[in-house]
Amino acid sequence: MDTIAVIFGGRSAEHDVSIITALSSIIKPLELTEKYRVEAIYISKEGAWYWDEKLKNIDLYSSGKIKDFIKKNHPVSLKFDGGLTLIKSGRQRIRSSSLKVDVVFPSMHGTYGEDGALMGLLDMAGVAYVGCDLASSTIAMDKILAKEVAIANQIPVTKFVIANKEEIDKDIASVIKRVTTKLSYPLFIKPTHLGSSIGISRAQDQTALSNGLEVAATYDDMVVIEEEVPNLIEVTLPIIGNDVLTPAMLEQPMTKPEDFFDFETKYLQGGKKGKGKAGKGSQGYSKIPADLPKDLYKKALDLGLRTYQIVGCQGIARVDMLIDSKKGEVYFNEINPLPGGLYAHNWRAAGISSVELVDRLVNMAKERFEKQQKLATTFDTNYLQQF
Amino acid sequence: MQVVVDGILTNYVRQGNGRVVVILHGWGDSSKSWQQLASALSHNYDVVVPDLPGFGATKSPPKTWGLDDYASFIKDFLKKLNISATYCIVGHSNGGAIALRGIAKNIITTDRLILLASAGIRGEYKGRLKALRYAAKTGKLLTSPLPKATKNKLRAKVYQTIGSDMLVAEHLQETFKKVVSDDVRDDAKKIDIPTLLIYGELDQQTPLRYGETLHQLIDHSSLEVLPGASHFLQLDRPDAINSAIQGFLR
Repeated sequence: MDTIAVIFGGRSAEHDVSIITALSSIIKPLELTEKYRVEAIYISKEGAWYWDEKLKNIDLYSSGKIKDFIKKNHPVSLKFDGGLTLIKSGRQRIRSSSLKVDVVFPSMHGTYGEDGALMGLLDMAGVAYVGCDLASSTIAMDKILAKEVAIANQIPVTKFVIANKEEIDKDIASVIKRVTTKLSYPLFIKPTHLGSSIGISRAQDQTALSNGLEVAATYDDMVVIEEEVPNLIEVTLPIIGNDVLTPAMLEQPMTKPEDFFDFETKYLQGGKKGKGKAGKGSQGYSKIPADLPKDLYKKALDLGLRTYQIVGCQGIARVDMLIDSKKGEVYFNEINPLPGGLYAHNWRAAGISSVELVDRLVNMAKERFEKQQKLATTFDTNYLQQF
Repeated sequence: MQVVVDGILTNYVRQGNGRVVVILHGWGDSSKSWQQLASALSHNYDVVVPDLPGFGATKSPPKTWGLDDYASFIKDFLKKLNISATYCIVGHSNGGAIALRGIAKNIITTDRLILLASAGIRGEYKGRLKALRYAAKTGKLLTSPLPKATKNKLRAKVYQTIGSDMLVAEHLQETFKKVVSDDVRDDAKKIDIPTLLIYGELDQQTPLRYGETLHQLIDHSSLEVLPGASHFLQLDRPDAINSAIQGFLR
């Protein structure tokens, strides 16, 4: 029986979302497969790693008792022994237990996880892991880089301007001038590396633009300012696969541009402003499949799949697109290497249960790892003998 | 929504159109518990509800703050949102004390003021405070051999039992001490705008007599008492609060 380590939490603004994804959409379905030994690895907001059965219980986090847990338990040590082993000391540091991991299932949103940092660590350790690798995660989680890659591959993106934190802090007036010379209101201002709509503002005038720039710059060193697409239909497409891709359904969040998916709307109000009792979390209020004419649906589906391949995603990702419904134009917006909750609701609509989804993702991780193992990583020379 | 005010990442809710109504929540509270009232008022007004620094999703003040600092923050917050004229400030509990200080010192201006179970009357229990201080010192000495976690739990229990908000926001203990030692009776005397005071009959944190005191001190004020209501008027009697406010603002 393979041991799967589900890693979640972490030093990220999306720490809490990551816990929900791990507990509800990954650990539980993995256990239901009855094929794996599933272990919960929680990374605190300070960056310490913990491994314990208790970490699978949502009450630990919702009650705030996680703070007591952290005080009472020692963080685990990581051993890179031609793979990944976790070592946990007992309370008095007398006894220790270890866990040899076969496959890691990252459930990390945002910084130090979804952005490729964790994937780099796992590559160094030499352990199989689910989802996008270091390079594709890095591209996907950098909104500017992802746009540049899309442009280089003739994938349409909306008009945008970039600004760094330093110029925003020192001379915001010139940033505003640059933005308004090139773009027209309404605008979206986004931190480059964050997901879950954290730090995003919509601006219809200069005051809102200035405020939005300041907010985004408190979260990130780089900020991207985008022109809003007129006659907007927003769609998103979850995809799984390494070489052979399986798309879920094209999904249409039911939000007006002015009610764009902010963190509150997305995770706390069930996806729709003012509908606090919807309680669907990241699933929110949306149409599955998206209500689009057949040709436009296909155009968006193709663009989503092409973007996934071009960025080099593997395992799972979700591609967000913006459609100008009058012109019939589809623009790539963002790509998300670990969709919140894996977008299990959409996969269910597409006929793939949560249990089947996580099982397939683990198999894809193992397949990729086996392929990588066959690649030569050493090259024998007599270089050293010359010294 | 978010905005950076004086270097503090500030969360706020804004809805509706018309003249501006600003709601200031109390200690340990946030904009969340004012959503219902804000929604109701937003049919007629542009309603702005910030999470005050240290509460809700707004970052904490960089140092120990008092009422003046919170009032200055409100001034800068409104400026940041390009709000030049405020029709009414609604302050609950400590939010009321902030509003009184801000208006009295001309830090913030508004046409009307509504004080809901406003705090700011201090030193009412001098004997009790002295006894509590003595008990706290003795307790600290007696519990000193205990582990830190146990000590903290005991401390939280004691503060909860005596009805103190000291540990409601643990990270703001020094700010709390500064705020609750700042009396606003002199400020109240300087208020010369139409003011509505609403207090709950059963309020224990800011008893009705606080309202009566402020009513006496503020010219052009009226006092309304909600029978059976506690300190958290917005949760106990949302409809009564809404209609009283709408009536006063009309």
